[in-house]
Amino acid sequence: MLKYAHKLKPILIDVLKTLLLFSAATLISLLLSNINNDNNPFAVPVFILAVALIARVTQGYVYGIVVSLVSVLCVNYMFTYPFFEFDMSIAGYPLTFAAMLGVSIIISTLTTQIKRQERLRYAMEAEKTRADLLRSVSHDLRTPLTSIVGSCSILLDSPQLDRADQRELLLGISKDAHWLIRVTENILSLTKFSTSNVQLRKESEVIEEIVGSAIVKFRKNHPSISVRVDRPEHILLCPMDATLIEQVLVNLFENVAIHAENADRITVRIERKSDRAVIAVEDNGAGFSNDQLSAPFDGHCTPRNAVSDNHRNMGIGLSVCRSIVRAHGGDISIGNLAGGGASVRFWLPCEEEDYDE
Amino acid sequence: MMNSTPCKILIVEDDPGIRMFLKTTLSTNGCEPLVAATGREALEMITSHCPDCVLLDLGLPDMDGTEIIKNVRAWSKIPIVVISARGSEEDKARALDLGADDYLVKPFGAIELMARIRTAIRHTVTVVDNDGIALNGLCRVGELTIDYRKHRVFLSGRDTGLTPNEFRIVALLGKHSGQVVTYKAILRELWGPYATHDNKILRVHMANIRRKIEPNPDEPTFIFTEVGVGYRMADCD
Repeated sequence: MLKYAHKLKPILIDVLKTLLLFSAATLISLLLSNINNDNNPFAVPVFILAVALIARVTQGYVYGIVVSLVSVLCVNYMFTYPFFEFDMSIAGYPLTFAAMLGVSIIISTLTTQIKRQERLRYAMEAEKTRADLLRSVSHDLRTPLTSIVGSCSILLDSPQLDRADQRELLLGISKDAHWLIRVTENILSLTKFSTSNVQLRKESEVIEEIVGSAIVKFRKNHPSISVRVDRPEHILLCPMDATLIEQVLVNLFENVAIHAENADRITVRIERKSDRAVIAVEDNGAGFSNDQLSAPFDGHCTPRNAVSDNHRNMGIGLSVCRSIVRAHGGDISIGNLAGGGASVRFWLPCEEEDYDE
Repeated sequence: MMNSTPCKILIVEDDPGIRMFLKTTLSTNGCEPLVAATGREALEMITSHCPDCVLLDLGLPDMDGTEIIKNVRAWSKIPIVVISARGSEEDKARALDLGADDYLVKPFGAIELMARIRTAIRHTVTVVDNDGIALNGLCRVGELTIDYRKHRVFLSGRDTGLTPNEFRIVALLGKHSGQVVTYKAILRELWGPYATHDNKILRVHMANIRRKIEPNPDEPTFIFTEVGVGYRMADCD
């Protein structure tokens, strides 16, 4: 039932638009024909304009063609002598009809073409993002996997290794494995909605609660970095998929822990700006480099020739954040603070009401 | 914990690697692990061995793990801890609402695993309430005291001024301290089984509760949010 309703809605809207424009044309022609009682010379151009507009604002060819047919009959019936009677023998009648039909078909075709091209461009862009992401992900996966396999083979093949060395290798494996889990979680988040028409499961959530939950998760792994929240007095509710937004926050916190040099403090600012909730994650580290500022969401911010550092997943983390935030109808941007330190701000549409009890 | 015989824990898991990890963890912690790789096997072993706790992976080759929960809950209160992957919050909530006691998200460590098992067994042994509540009507979590007789919650001896509804939420979480309570279960407890599920009210209540009882609401220490599933109060002392 719901499925059909979903399909029916655009058709209904198109029919409504068509009826509205057609009645407007008829009304205008009627008003004009009252001025001079002779054959109405304005009727034909008015109806051609209506046909053109209808072809432009509706989907496909049907509405334009139907309206041009009806228009020809209408002009014949109401606005040409004899009035309110059909007379198929009038000279130029086929021409009027052909003109209207032609206009309608040409405009419908052009409109449809433009729409198709837009869709294609959008699909290509999405495809490119996905390919970029896949490339950088597989690159980022290889490094820790190589080190895990290497460490395991040493542990298995060299029983003479002393305990301290064994422990060192095991710690390395554990660290790499945890990093792999983080990457997979990000990929998992992406699959939740990147398959085009899948809708997010949104519910009203209190922003500070999701921030708090992300902080608890983050501090488990990074107890040395303190996180402070600057929250508004009013409780702010936003419709969101909470697991995804939590992922965004954890990614941003992790980026600070991994990339920001000497950062030991994170400040999360939650603000309401009209119908938006703006969340800024700021640190007191070295800030973003110019390279990062120019292309933060590329998925591969590591310079090609730099010594490969296997924790350089900032690109992936950030582009996942952007995809998630955009899927919620918001956006994200990065910058540096005046006093040093990096800042990532994102906003989400939030609900109108204030909740105070 | 209650007696000297080692507790029997049934592991229901089809992946050999994870099975091995669970088995080793349990036996090094003084438990007696039993193993089932399929749902059918699991049901047989539950009836024949009567384990003290079941660790259940929801993704089994022969049946949906929730079928096992339904089946077992029809005749037994034996604690069930569900093991599941992240990203399937609805499955987790459904498993809990069907009667599972708690869940663990993969990947998890040995300490977390043992803590969950202990909590699940303890809650089943004391049946309705937890020890402290049964004894003196109090539940203490660090500096926080829930007084079930006075219907008050104190932080370091000071009344936190919760509203009646806020108290009922905290009281419910306290009764199940250490365990996750789903949004649905809280709403049902507060507004009855026919209440329309308005999560919004619950979220707002929780935000207000946190501002009143958490010394630092930025980083909650008493009530944790299990995003997409429910709330968990830290274990009572």
